[in-house]
Amino acid sequence: MSALPAVSPSLPVVDPTPADPFTPPPLSPLPVDPAVVAPSPIATKVALEGLLKARRLQTEAPPLRGEARATPLPTGLRDIDGLLRGGFPRGQMSEVHGPASSGRTGLLLSAMAQATRAGELVAWVDPGDRFDPASAAGAGADLERLLWLRGRRGLEAEARALAEATSSLATLLGSGLFAVLVLDLAGFGERELRRLPATTWIRLQRTVAPKHSALVLIADAHVAMSPLGAVLALRPQGPRFSGAPGPGRLLTGLSAFAEAGPYARRHATFALQTV
Amino acid sequence: MFGGLHSPRPLPSPQALLELGRAFTPRLEARSGTLVLLDLSGLGRTFRDPEALGRALLEAARARRIEANVALAFTRTAALVLARARNGLTVVPAGGEAAALAPLPLELLDVEEDRLTLFHRWGLRRIGDLAALPPLGLAERLGPEGDRLLRLARGEDREPFVPAAPPESFHARLELDWAVDGLEPLAFLLSRVLEPLVLALDTRGRKAQALTLELTLANGRAHRRTLRVAAPTGDARTWRTLLLLDLEARSPGDAVTALAVTAEPTPAREVQFSLLDPAQPSPEKLAETLARLATLTAEGRCGAASLLDTHRPGAFVLGTFAPGPFRPAKPGSADGTATPASRAALRAFRPPLRAEVSLAKGAPVFVSAPGLRGAVADRAGPWRASGDWWEAAWAREEWDVLVAGRLLRLVRDRLNEEWTIDGEID
Repeated sequence: MSALPAVSPSLPVVDPTPADPFTPPPLSPLPVDPAVVAPSPIATKVALEGLLKARRLQTEAPPLRGEARATPLPTGLRDIDGLLRGGFPRGQMSEVHGPASSGRTGLLLSAMAQATRAGELVAWVDPGDRFDPASAAGAGADLERLLWLRGRRGLEAEARALAEATSSLATLLGSGLFAVLVLDLAGFGERELRRLPATTWIRLQRTVAPKHSALVLIADAHVAMSPLGAVLALRPQGPRFSGAPGPGRLLTGLSAFAEAGPYARRHATFALQTV
Repeated sequence: MFGGLHSPRPLPSPQALLELGRAFTPRLEARSGTLVLLDLSGLGRTFRDPEALGRALLEAARARRIEANVALAFTRTAALVLARARNGLTVVPAGGEAAALAPLPLELLDVEEDRLTLFHRWGLRRIGDLAALPPLGLAERLGPEGDRLLRLARGEDREPFVPAAPPESFHARLELDWAVDGLEPLAFLLSRVLEPLVLALDTRGRKAQALTLELTLANGRAHRRTLRVAAPTGDARTWRTLLLLDLEARSPGDAVTALAVTAEPTPAREVQFSLLDPAQPSPEKLAETLARLATLTAEGRCGAASLLDTHRPGAFVLGTFAPGPFRPAKPGSADGTATPASRAALRAFRPPLRAEVSLAKGAPVFVSAPGLRGAVADRAGPWRASGDWWEAAWAREEWDVLVAGRLLRLVRDRLNEEWTIDGEID
């Protein structure tokens, strides 16, 4: 029986114990700007392994030489853009979830406004028919460049609205014409969402992957569980008023707390105005 | 050589003379319903002399039961005047125009009534009298008009020949030997009809802004659909896809025995593209995507919203999604100075939720609505608005209330004293 060859000291030692699923992995180091510091090959290797372990290699690895990486779509909210490292990533399905009045819609309308001001087309798929064009215009979105798909009305509407919305969304994604597509699932309960085929989110992620579009879901809770894309969990921090309770008092805005990334390790507070 | 065709009697149809002329030449000019000018140059290979051509014209007119006078001359003026003046066939040799016109009355010239009265006062009765006047003297008295009239009287042309364009008809029809059922075989047949139609459009520098498909069905009925796109297109594949998607959504209901397609032409699109602005979507692809969406969504539930010019909340119309060319906001303009501040949005309830509201000192303190019930934790308002008193009046009082962690837009209808929840602020 021959002896096992000795491990070369130059090779990294692989930890044979599996990762504890209940312990969050350590934060990966941020990509290093090669223009500032030339990283050593070992540092690059460690950084890439960290990203691979955190399943963020595709989104956060520094672009290779000659690689044209799509710029993310900014939301227009500085703190949120910082949290998302520039905005919602293109070619991926992202999610914004939280309870009512946590600023989900306002945040997405702000992203829509940014995109339409840059000349892009955007789409709002709205199975619940909750979209308010006046709010979108107030947020600065160009309504001429915003396609709105409203859910059906009627007795059989609820059963068909979600299925139609996901089919329409796949059609819109396939066209590649729209920079931002929002699927508004807020207000739909868990039971209604479970009626959708289990493969819906995988199918949508695969459709958006080769495109230049950013797909964002709005929901009350984490729905798609996609390993790619950005996930933003919002919590309302309460409304802001213009003064003491009494006649003529104004609602001036609302603030919310946002957490991003796996295991919600990054967070920020943001505010939306109403007047 | 030019030919004048004139009919002294009413014609069987207004187009009869034009059709007669088109049998000889595609270049013709309709001067009136009974007078047509033909450009006959190039017909010397078919007819040995002008007389033979003139006789052929008369015979063709007779065959169509048209009583026509034909005048052939080397100037348009002479051909037109002589066709009206002389019966039967008149042929004027080259250079003989002035002599041929000279004995004719002045009234046959295209001259205004007051000028004619003036010439009569001068003692002029014949075209030859006018042609004999000294050009300088006539120009001194009538200005540039004098020169024009003198050339007219001598049978000379001043204005260019403007041939009438043949009527544009973009229509294609295909009769089938046997009835066809199903979309797949119809797709091939549509290609056969659409490709020559699109080629004809392209030859004329046209695109189609609408297409009408008429299917003759085996049961004798007709299935007729007209599709209109936001941006005109001349792409056969796009039109075929749009027609198939429409047929998929609205099935004809029986096998097809004949299909006909008529295009509504429009001049080709002219767009100045920018090197620096983002690429605009292809209108063909956009039309195709919207047609696919139309098969998936209910009618009128997909498009671009535009706000109405009113203070009434929630007033908008949903129109066709047809984004125009992108115009970036100028740095100095009102909307280009800075990005607007991010705003909270209203998530509307359609229709608004009916609510039961308890009041204390005029302010809501408890709200109860389907799926929502709780005490008001905080509030802002009231804000009153009204309008449209001249037709469907509305008057409302708005409150922004915090109930169970949700910011709601609570509205009291001041005309009916009803409370509703318009939406939640998110």
